[in-house]
Amino acid sequence: MTSATTASADAILDAKSCTMQFGGLCALKEFSLAVGKGDLKGLIGPNGAGKTTAFNVLTGVYAPTTGDVVVDGVRMNGRLPHQINRAGLARTFQNIRLFKELSAIDNVKVGCLSDATPFFPRSKIEALRKEGNGALAYTFEAWGNYLDWWRAFLLTPGFLREEADIEERARTLLEVMGLAHRAEEAARNLPYGEQRRLEIARALATGPKVLLLDEPAAGMNTREKQDLMALIRQLRDQMGLGILLIEHDMKLVMGICENITVLDHGETIAVGTPEEVKRDPKVIEAYLGVESHELRA
Amino acid sequence: MAELVQHIINGVAAGTIYALVALGYTMVYGVLKLINFAHGDVMMVGCYAGYASAHTMGTTTASSFIGVTLVFLISVGACALIGFLIERFAYRPLREKPRLVALITAIGVSFTISYGFQLNLSLGGLTILPGASPRAFPEVITPADWLVVGDPNYPDIVLRNTQVISVLIAVALMAALQLLVFRSRFGVAMRAVSFDHRTSALMGIPVDRVIALTFMLGSALAAGAGVLYAIKDTRIEPLMGTQVGLKAFVAAVIGGIGHVPGALVGALLLGLVEEFVVGYGSSTWRDAVAFGFLIVVLLFKPEGLFGRVSAEKV
Amino acid sequence: MTPVTTSPVARVLQRVPVPLRGVFPFLVAIPLLACVHFATSGAPFFVILSLGVGVNVILAVSLNIVNGMTGQFSIGHAGFMAVGAYTAGLTSTILSEYGLSFLPGAVSDQVMFTLSLAVGGAVAAAFGFLVGLPSLRLKGDYLAIVTLGFGEIIRVIVQNTDVFGRALGLRGVPQWTSMFSCWFIVFLTIVVARRIAASTHGRSLLAIREDEVAAEAMGVNTTAYKVRSFVVAAFFAGLAGGVFAHYQSIVNPGSFTFVKSMEIVVIIVAGGLGSTTGAVVAAVFLTLLPEALRSIFLGLGVSSETAQLVDQARMPIYGILLVLIMLLRPQGLFGTRELWDLALFKPKGPEHFPPRPREGGAL
Repeated sequence: MTSATTASADAILDAKSCTMQFGGLCALKEFSLAVGKGDLKGLIGPNGAGKTTAFNVLTGVYAPTTGDVVVDGVRMNGRLPHQINRAGLARTFQNIRLFKELSAIDNVKVGCLSDATPFFPRSKIEALRKEGNGALAYTFEAWGNYLDWWRAFLLTPGFLREEADIEERARTLLEVMGLAHRAEEAARNLPYGEQRRLEIARALATGPKVLLLDEPAAGMNTREKQDLMALIRQLRDQMGLGILLIEHDMKLVMGICENITVLDHGETIAVGTPEEVKRDPKVIEAYLGVESHELRA
Repeated sequence: MAELVQHIINGVAAGTIYALVALGYTMVYGVLKLINFAHGDVMMVGCYAGYASAHTMGTTTASSFIGVTLVFLISVGACALIGFLIERFAYRPLREKPRLVALITAIGVSFTISYGFQLNLSLGGLTILPGASPRAFPEVITPADWLVVGDPNYPDIVLRNTQVISVLIAVALMAALQLLVFRSRFGVAMRAVSFDHRTSALMGIPVDRVIALTFMLGSALAAGAGVLYAIKDTRIEPLMGTQVGLKAFVAAVIGGIGHVPGALVGALLLGLVEEFVVGYGSSTWRDAVAFGFLIVVLLFKPEGLFGRVSAEKV
Repeated sequence: MTPVTTSPVARVLQRVPVPLRGVFPFLVAIPLLACVHFATSGAPFFVILSLGVGVNVILAVSLNIVNGMTGQFSIGHAGFMAVGAYTAGLTSTILSEYGLSFLPGAVSDQVMFTLSLAVGGAVAAAFGFLVGLPSLRLKGDYLAIVTLGFGEIIRVIVQNTDVFGRALGLRGVPQWTSMFSCWFIVFLTIVVARRIAASTHGRSLLAIREDEVAAEAMGVNTTAYKVRSFVVAAFFAGLAGGVFAHYQSIVNPGSFTFVKSMEIVVIIVAGGLGSTTGAVVAAVFLTLLPEALRSIFLGLGVSSETAQLVDQARMPIYGILLVLIMLLRPQGLFGTRELWDLALFKPKGPEHFPPRPREGGAL
């Protein structure tokens, strides 16, 4: 097995030999992956290889049976998905999961959660949490959030200012993703490609450090795919995001990602640059099957 | 000790009736993933059908063996018909809609039936809707004490014939159901439909017919339960269905909804717990027991005692 | 770009200086309500009728926060109303024996009325928290059953407690509810519901309704938000209970059965789950309907027995209505839209799915 650890010291998302067991089924085995600032990595594998399971483990939908998920130096095992999201990890879904009845801009606004709770600043809560005072931090957070509801009832000037900020942020994001003309349209009425882009806009709205994209180009035609890939690269360059990409289209991943991890039956069978991975006999075997591989050889 | 035995006897007798109603919930939930809120009211309709037929025959005719059988059959037939109608006109058009829509519809159907029966409506001397006042169910089975332990005037333990009969009938019906579900072609079809409507349809199973039959079967069981309940309690009223129905539903959930033996276990447990609360505590708390029990079970084991957890796929 | 449809109120608010926006609607509403209060003081029948309508509007709008916005399904709202009615009623019966001597009688009464309403609402909110907890683990129909069970348990507890007068109920609750106080609370409820919907918190609730998994992945603390929606809804149901107790003067368990809960569910389903204005319109209409029918039948010279039958037929009619709405128009009167989103009130036509107004708070 190729050494799976590409650990970089400044990794924002660091998965350390995560194993996910469902009953007797091992969906993910000793999975390790690190994504740092500005990384653009790919995760590929045949159907049922465990790619989405890996995503779910990283984003807290499942807690790994063994192993650690570390985000920004904090161990995230057992944290809920929203806490992991707040720590700086945002994702999209393979089967689009937009808030269908809400308008495009509202979808993005959901991601733009108000960060300022006036009584207990978020920085203070985070500091408490880092000191190990988790329970106290949680209490402050909860009460701060309740107090924030009161600001919404009273329409305080600060609250209105925040709403205006959110509005502006959401519109900017829609513009970046080329959806500004769709802002007021209900999400379910958008064409497929735009829905995928809206999902990315929504994920970006949460202010992530690492973005996880689950087959963002699925169902798109070749041109749309190329545009999307250009956009993804642009996001990385301009915002300095780390991006992890699941994709079925081998050619696409090879063209855009700098580092690729290949999964098969939950096991990491190869890690490396696109060139290395493409030549790896195990990868060819997993994708084409043993017999056809032998036939070709 | 004798008191305990007496409570167990009463609890088991009540529990078997809950079990028959609970089976209807479980079966419908199995094939449609719908809580058929109207199920208890179907049972109430069964009681009234039994009442009407016993009255028309006259108590003497009705209390003969053939009479009792006829009372049962008529109420079973009436309920199967009602079940069919409800499924056909209220639930079938909504099958592809979100589950909440079906749930609201079920509540609506339940309301229509139970409060519709509270109206007093008769046309040309024929009572169409019975009205809210409770009625006394004719004694089609003359009550007798089959087993008396202790002083005959102040007995320690009494075993009534109605209790024995209701337990026997309930057990027989459940055994028949178990055979039907696991040993017949219809049972196979039913289980297939409960897994996946569309695939079953592709495999040539007449899904609509299977669902309709399941409804009718569940309603028929409820009718049986209704008549047994009426014989035991001798008092019927339009809102009784909601009460008994909710408790039976609780029993089904406790056992793990969709699980046939689970419904039996849940119903017996509920019957016993209720009996103990009434016996050792106060009868006014009786109605809170079922829901308290339900909330505790749902909080600690939401899938019920025998149910399986189904995780949502992301 | 398609124009944003905003509520007329929000459009007016845009012109109000920012620091005043929060209180502006109240500055308008209070004198208005006072006028209505004095104008109707000579028509007791109308007042009684409108109090009943007001209570139902509060209940419907608050239940809509849980069922419509958050997408949970609570069918035990009468339970919270009962908690509010009993605690507020009890508080004011105790308080009325003391009275604040340094204030004129009428003012002292109103102060104590406010106090007991607040107590009722707070206790109901605490119960809302308790009932909201199962929503962390249960979904859809199971949650519905738990809320139903809660409502029933509350009733049984009240029936077995001496302080609450057992089955007879509380008697002699001072009749402090007035046209003004009732409709002020109605107004407050609507404002709060609309402002929640237009805030970042409201969007989080809507996101939970649309897709819980996605909402969680976007950083929404779904568990906390679900419980909070129960707390807010229960608080207002508690207020409704308090208002109810102080005009009925008698509070008994029979007023808070499953039937009452279902009445509110029918109202919000008919109005369109998720639509505050829909809930208001449906509450007014469905509360007045039986009254109107009875008056019409009596006016037509039908015997009072038949008219009574019509009154009794209310419940089965609700049931049939519920089934028919689900079969013919499951989204209800307005769907998730608001009154001003309808084509009738819109400046421009061709837009198919008007988004909900968000800018700068709706109301």
